Amino acid sequence: MNATKLLLVLGAVLALGACAKKEDVLSLYNWNQYIAPETVERFEKACGCKVQQSFYSDNSELMAKITGGAKGYDVLVPTSNYVSDLAKGGYLRPIDKAKVANLKNIMPAYLNTEFDQGNQYSVPYAYTITMLGYNDEKIKELGIPVDSWALIFDPKILEKLKGRVTVLDSPDELTAAALLYLGYSANERDPAKLEQAKQVILKAKPYWAAFKASGYIELLAAGDIWVAHGYSNDIYGADLGAQQAKKSFRIKHAMPKEGAVLALDAMVIAKDAPHPELAHKFVDFMLEGQNSADLTNMLGSGNPNSAAMAFIKPEIKSMAAVFPDAETAKKLEMLKPMDADQRRQLNQLWTEIKAG
Amino acid sequence: MQSGRFHKWVISGPPLAYLLIFFAIPTLIMVVASFRQPGPYGGLAPLLSGAQGSAGVALTAENYARFFTNFLYTELFLKSLWYALITTAGCLLLAYPLALLIARSPKSQRDLLVLLVILPFWSNFLIRVYAWIIILGPQSVFVGAFNWSIGLFGLGPVRLLYTPAAVVIGLIYVHLPFMVLPLYANLEKHDPALLDAAQDLGAGAWQRFWRVTFPLSLPGVYAGAALVFIPAFGIFAIPDLLGGTGGAMIGNIIKQQFLDSRDWPFGSVLSIVLTVVAIGLAGVAAWFARRVRQ
Amino acid sequence: MRRSGWLAAAAIAGYVFLYAPLAIVVAYSFNDSSMNAQWVGFTLDWYRKLFRNADMLTAARNSLVIGLVASAVSTVLGTMAGYAIYRYRLRLLPLLVLAPIAIPEILMGVSLLLFFVMINLTLGMLSITLAHIAFCIGFVAIVVRARLAGLDESLVEAARDLGATPWQAFKLVTLPLIMPGVVAGALMAFTLSIDDFVITFFTAGPDSRTLPLAIYTMVKITVTPEVNAVSTLLMLLTLVLIVVASKLSPGAMRGR
Repeated sequence: MNATKLLLVLGAVLALGACAKKEDVLSLYNWNQYIAPETVERFEKACGCKVQQSFYSDNSELMAKITGGAKGYDVLVPTSNYVSDLAKGGYLRPIDKAKVANLKNIMPAYLNTEFDQGNQYSVPYAYTITMLGYNDEKIKELGIPVDSWALIFDPKILEKLKGRVTVLDSPDELTAAALLYLGYSANERDPAKLEQAKQVILKAKPYWAAFKASGYIELLAAGDIWVAHGYSNDIYGADLGAQQAKKSFRIKHAMPKEGAVLALDAMVIAKDAPHPELAHKFVDFMLEGQNSADLTNMLGSGNPNSAAMAFIKPEIKSMAAVFPDAETAKKLEMLKPMDADQRRQLNQLWTEIKAG
Repeated sequence: MQSGRFHKWVISGPPLAYLLIFFAIPTLIMVVASFRQPGPYGGLAPLLSGAQGSAGVALTAENYARFFTNFLYTELFLKSLWYALITTAGCLLLAYPLALLIARSPKSQRDLLVLLVILPFWSNFLIRVYAWIIILGPQSVFVGAFNWSIGLFGLGPVRLLYTPAAVVIGLIYVHLPFMVLPLYANLEKHDPALLDAAQDLGAGAWQRFWRVTFPLSLPGVYAGAALVFIPAFGIFAIPDLLGGTGGAMIGNIIKQQFLDSRDWPFGSVLSIVLTVVAIGLAGVAAWFARRVRQ
Repeated sequence: MRRSGWLAAAAIAGYVFLYAPLAIVVAYSFNDSSMNAQWVGFTLDWYRKLFRNADMLTAARNSLVIGLVASAVSTVLGTMAGYAIYRYRLRLLPLLVLAPIAIPEILMGVSLLLFFVMINLTLGMLSITLAHIAFCIGFVAIVVRARLAGLDESLVEAARDLGATPWQAFKLVTLPLIMPGVVAGALMAFTLSIDDFVITFFTAGPDSRTLPLAIYTMVKITVTPEVNAVSTLLMLLTLVLIVVASKLSPGAMRGR
């Protein structure tokens, strides 16, 4: 049959084209759109190699893939609480400090965290703070205070915002926010306190529009949603989107006074990385000021690199949400990894929240 | 002349072999996983606990116990079942006229009309759903018109996005071609002479449809229903994107086990129960259909 | 043939339902905003960006290749399975055919990842294709089986009486009769394959990006209209391919 033959020939031609040319390739497994294209190009020129990017959209996806046994990746970019799990699980290769001289650029506050003592396995990449983004016009109209987690948890406030609020679709993040609202630590694991957090969430749930891990950027920018529980860089993106669409409102960051979660993302090298030399080169490259600053300029993400400061746009440098002052920094907590029992407990809680 | 056992194996052999290797064995791994413990950092705990000389196989039924002792999961199953049924019914109502029209069209147009049905589904799933978010969003023209028209009856303005209605619309939308194609494949071979004969005998249009066309199309209806109901039962993407805070289906909870909670054994339990229930229902429906035909 | 007005109206409503979101997808590929949320203005920028975006184009090509191969193989295997289930009393095959449709994608994805790691198969285009075939066979088999229901066996018997071998009887009599079912199954398999995310995510290797993999993970930040552009183009390309193929073998959709 002619059609079959044609399709087979076409398939063969396309498949041949798909055969990669053999050259030095760095395999980067990263969040999507979490590295500036110009940075990648610059690295490819500098090393005379090619960067192959694969993506995930959540730490949990990365974990599932790696703990399932997937190999072939050189550099991964997990958040700190996942770094320690990956390291303890034996999935990471220790970083050869001799090859990563630019590590000295990182601000001491972000080095030697409890997740990776002595930075054996990880090198800080960028950070975000989980906070609240809001439509300044609507909030002013309704006369609501924006300095507390009450904005998404207090039914009296939510009355005025019914159907216009989204929260993160993440068990860790949402329970952390509720715990902070109640005055506890974001890492509280006591079942009684977690139960309280669950009640807070269930009381507020009817007023929320949806659980959105992503996609709230578009909703904020369009004005469909007025308050979103989200990441600082996403809120920045939403503001850019609103400006692009020539909206009358801006999207502002709200840092709750009870505290917030800081997520520090780090570069790590996989244990069975096919190109460890290249991986080290890449990590060192990303620690250079300009390269690190590219990401911040693109996304409005926090930057732990002091050498990058010179290259960051002034309007971003001045944003308290991106570079918090010392006062605020004290109230930030990083999420700690959980053991299997704690995960199971949170799992059950989350199912009850989702299905309740 | 019989096609002997040789032919039976030649024809059923290759698909059987393929599915045994690339489906049955991997699934068996997960069935065993449902009796295992989650690993400390994710994945699965080692199967053979050979620590301190005690060679034992670390299997447990506690994951199943957890499922059966917690009514929450059964509730979720029932909810998903309900959604899947509504979706199947909705798809059937929408797909049947489409398939019928195409089947009755002049031969030269049929190819194109069928292609037109499936063409939208070669764009990307996510942006099609994003398009629905735009169509059903609070600022959309469609929603405005909808609210205006129901306002004429004194009904209040409704929000369409992030409601069960949006989930159902999304579910019907993404499953529609899987109802249209099997229906079409069946309707296409109906002999128009039968309908002409019925008409000659005095049957009206509705009677011709209900007494002649529909019964003949039942195999297509069942095929389409299976291809819509079964996947819709376990889907998670549509409730995630279009559903409100109460929209979680069992598929979402299963995804949660494999990703956020890193509890693969429990995720396997939920998946196995889902599969057994889905296939069981399909089997019951098929048995019922055979009875009805007699 | 006389077509009732009701039927035409209902069918048109169906097409409108199918195409409303698509109209938005195509329209927004020209949207002068980096978000898929509101119309801002007209621009061809996204198409320009797309043509410079080698990664996205590679992903599109990979999706097409995998789609073509997976749908071809699963159509052949699925047709065999559908026919075998119809013809013979089998117990295992019907179950194996139905189960992949029922099993949650994420379970299948994880199980295949574990399996491929177990047998030491490098994750890549091959592993993705093998996975796709596994879940597509069932769809094809069910459609073919439905088409076979009510097949007029006397035609086949007549062919055999005239001296045709079983294979000839199948190829010259049965196959043309079930061809619309086979093609419908093939179309479904192709659609499932080029749009699959979950199973592909788990079975993909570092060098095998498909379009869904590239697109879904964009969800974290924002899904730019570049995605609309690539989707529109992919649709058009596939349409052209199919139209060309059908011109070369007319009547495939219609059976005889």
